[in-house]
Amino acid sequence: MKTKVSKIIAVHSYKGGTGKTLLSVNLAVTFAKHGKKVCLFDLDFRAPSLFATVKVENAKCWLNDYLNGTCNINKVLIDLSSSIQSNGKFFVGLANPTTEAIRDISAKDRKWEMRALGRLLSLRNTLLKDQEFDYLILDTSPGLQYSSINAIVTADFVVVATTGDRSDVNGTRRMLRELYNLFEKKTGLVLNKVLDSTSKSKKNEMHDRVKAVYQVPLIGLVPCFCEILRAEGNFIFVQDKPDHPFTKILDEIAKKIEADEVN
Amino acid sequence: MNNYQCFVRLNKLPMFISTVHVKNTRGKPVTKEEIMSKKPLHILEKIKENLEKLNEKMEIMIELQKHGRKETPPFPDASLDVMTLLSLPDHLRKTAMTICRCGRATAEEIAQHTTRARAVESAYLNQLVIMGYLKKERKGRKAYFYADRDSQG
Repeated sequence: MKTKVSKIIAVHSYKGGTGKTLLSVNLAVTFAKHGKKVCLFDLDFRAPSLFATVKVENAKCWLNDYLNGTCNINKVLIDLSSSIQSNGKFFVGLANPTTEAIRDISAKDRKWEMRALGRLLSLRNTLLKDQEFDYLILDTSPGLQYSSINAIVTADFVVVATTGDRSDVNGTRRMLRELYNLFEKKTGLVLNKVLDSTSKSKKNEMHDRVKAVYQVPLIGLVPCFCEILRAEGNFIFVQDKPDHPFTKILDEIAKKIEADEVN
Repeated sequence: MNNYQCFVRLNKLPMFISTVHVKNTRGKPVTKEEIMSKKPLHILEKIKENLEKLNEKMEIMIELQKHGRKETPPFPDASLDVMTLLSLPDHLRKTAMTICRCGRATAEEIAQHTTRARAVESAYLNQLVIMGYLKKERKGRKAYFYADRDSQG
């Protein structure tokens, strides 16, 4: 029996700086370039960054307001479809970057977090079913934060960004065993900042190693590209550099998710 | 009362209901003649309904006994947040996560999602009610369970 196609994708990691936001933004734009209707949400409420990447400083309503129950999700969504050259649709929902908002969300209690989870779960009906979005991508905070676990529970598929760093490997392994498995989540790993992955034999070796260490499929192997560092987050890579190898890797990851070949 | 006594009483329920609880539309106890002649189907439905209500009460009593509590739950307003979900045993987590996704559902609806038996889900849902994580509301013959009324966006 064919399993259902993943529609809500959470991008998560154990440690910070593994490339979650880079992957989320570029994956969302790749889906849009494939003609899909996509919305990317910034759930990293403690260190919002998507607003800077998409260059939107003032939103009418923030995702914080939606989770607080003070505004409708449609007021949060910002249509950036005109900024990408494709038939697809690209929307974003941003986290409020002001210090006051970060302080406010850090002080929320368990009851609020439970309601926030309910509101995230209801996006399946309001956006996927009623407004016919193809994919919702949730960019999260690293580690075991409430907002991240809420995103994982909401998602159909979790993309775990990791690097070769020892501390990251151990933490990611534990998280896979003690978090994603408990919630019975489909998971795929993206190994980022890989130094030597040019030859086919090296790639195969990496695949086998990841499978042995993490027991989950490797859906992408992203080499360390100096061009990405040089870009300093000033543009969306898959949009501005269509022929770059990074764009091609993201294209392959998106195709795997679209074809539901992630398991 | 131990579990064994609960089940013994449950076995005696049909007789108990037909003589005490089942009443006709005028509110009088149902006579044997009435059962045989007038509205047998209606009466059977009533018996089934009462049996279901009693079964649910029995499940709650059994769960209360398991936890050694006899009165109100210790956390009447406990929240079913993700950290709580993580701390629940696997069988309850599955039920709790399904109710979070559905918002408000009957044991039957939850059972369709989890592919477990309705009676099993009913017991787990009632256990979560006792633990204070879910609320239960009866509408006609159906019992609805929900985590929080204000959760839906």
